[in-house]
Amino acid sequence: MTIAHLDNVSVIYGNGLAELFALRDVSLSIAPAEMTLLLGPSGSGKTTLLQVLGCLMRPTRGEVSVFERSIRGYSERQLAAFRLAHIGFVFQNYHLFPTLRAWENIAIVLDVQGVPREEQRDRAMALLEKLGLGDRASHYPSELSGGQKQRVAIARALSLSPQLILADEPTAALDGKTGQGVAALLHDLAHREGCAVVVVSHDPRVEPFGDRVLHLEDGVIRDDVRRDNRG
Amino acid sequence: MVASIRHNPAVIDPLSLFRNGTSLLAWRNLAHDRARFVVTLVGVVFAVLLMGVELGLLVGFARTTSGLVEHAGADLWVTPLGTTNVDIAGRLDERRRYEALAVPGVASVDKLMAQFGFWKKPSGGTESVSVIGFNLATGKGAPWNLIEGSAADLQQDDAVIIDKLYAEKLGVKGMGDTLELNGRRVRVVGFTNGLRTFTQSPYVFTTHSNALHLAGFADDLTTYLLVNLKPDADPETVRRALKQRLGQVDVWKADAFALQAQKYWLITTGAGSALLLAAALGLIVGIVIVGQTLYATTVDRLPEYATLRAIGAANAYLYKVILKQAVISAVLGFSIGLIGIFVVVALTGRSNISLAMPVWLIGVLGVLTLLMCAFGAVISIRRVISIEPTSVFQ
Repeated sequence: MTIAHLDNVSVIYGNGLAELFALRDVSLSIAPAEMTLLLGPSGSGKTTLLQVLGCLMRPTRGEVSVFERSIRGYSERQLAAFRLAHIGFVFQNYHLFPTLRAWENIAIVLDVQGVPREEQRDRAMALLEKLGLGDRASHYPSELSGGQKQRVAIARALSLSPQLILADEPTAALDGKTGQGVAALLHDLAHREGCAVVVVSHDPRVEPFGDRVLHLEDGVIRDDVRRDNRG
Repeated sequence: MVASIRHNPAVIDPLSLFRNGTSLLAWRNLAHDRARFVVTLVGVVFAVLLMGVELGLLVGFARTTSGLVEHAGADLWVTPLGTTNVDIAGRLDERRRYEALAVPGVASVDKLMAQFGFWKKPSGGTESVSVIGFNLATGKGAPWNLIEGSAADLQQDDAVIIDKLYAEKLGVKGMGDTLELNGRRVRVVGFTNGLRTFTQSPYVFTTHSNALHLAGFADDLTTYLLVNLKPDADPETVRRALKQRLGQVDVWKADAFALQAQKYWLITTGAGSALLLAAALGLIVGIVIVGQTLYATTVDRLPEYATLRAIGAANAYLYKVILKQAVISAVLGFSIGLIGIFVVVALTGRSNISLAMPVWLIGVLGVLTLLMCAFGAVISIRRVISIEPTSVFQ
């Protein structure tokens, strides 16, 4: 079973002589219970690939299937509903709501999904406890450290039990030890929860945690390395 | 202490009513930037005050133009041909009354005089007044809201009743004062309260016969005939029959004549248009202020809206957040503005400014405020729609 599958996917910006390939004929399958790292220099197409996998962007060419369903015919509305139901996002700058407390940042996603009000707080609190932030539940993001913010963001991504978690530079704003902690957490989630985790990173500290490492360059996958990292 | 409350999840949040996600976000977005929220509220309050006062004046003026008609207690009014309002009228011959009485369905016909006159003040100078002469026996067209004296006191030949609001203007200090009206002596035997006139010529109530005398009319003349119908009579049928029988007169149902009087003074003179224009200005100012501040709040929160879109929130969810911000601003601004309007109503209560705020007008103001804030939210909604969810990756 694959979580996501890309078949000869290209993303092209501009046209004619000004054509620029962000991705060029990329074929790729993402498996569950695996942490996949997308590495590569700036402009190599990592984030574009993440956006395509996250159903946030339609490729110019090629086929994208998520959970063995092609998203080609999906409307924007259907894509949004699909993302909400199946995909969790973790962003470089956390993108937490500064006016909401930690638990409310998680509850808001549950609210978007239509989870009953009474359940939202309990589920948010349970997730924060699980990530070791139970005592920070009522803090606002401005009162949390970078590592704590990113863990809240991960809790938010996990709140709807997604099968695919996409993380964009999740350790970029964190110091060494905290960054490693977050990478370890994502790795652990992939193996414990059985979901697929795809991480875009420049950070060499993250590399040891990847079960699979893809190197992108000029929109092309140059290297695809798997390793046993389950220990 | 504050910190411990803030960080204790067990403490009940006073905003528990806002536990719905969109309401919570809307409230926090507004409350987060208090200075901007205050500006929004000031804008809404100002617009509500402006709309409320102007519309209140419009309703108040409308009531003053037709107050005499509405309180006369007649079913139908017979007026000289071409009459446009109750304050200015020609003359009717008394025999018209007998003709009217002969029409099937008519129970009674009373004469009512309405003529402008000149009131001489004790300190010198004159004021224009509107002399109203009514049938003391039936009380049709009698003064209402009497606070001193009684209509029966008008049996004396020189007796008149005026309104307390205009007593100072007419140089009247109290009951029993004698003054001159159209060169004839009159004595104040009672006061009404709050009977304002649109023409600013205060009503001077007296008996029909005394009014004829004061106006210098012949005994067989009057200005209006007030018709009351038998219980089973159809007003429209009788109105047509009266018109056919009396010929060169106008016959109105009371509510139609009241409306005609309002239209004449408020539309023909442009006074109503001016008030409506000022109210519309308030509405526009409110839309602009709410629109600007909501838009600024939305722009500040664009990364959050983009995050919601990336996560998969439907557009409707984002609209709800913005519209709820508008509704919160509307409800709070309207509440504060309404208090301000009541203060203005209370302050004008003892003046000759007619500012009315009936319950239905409060409802209209509430709806206008909500619409104003909703329109103000439109630009923000358009901005949110245009956000690319991929922008969260930049």
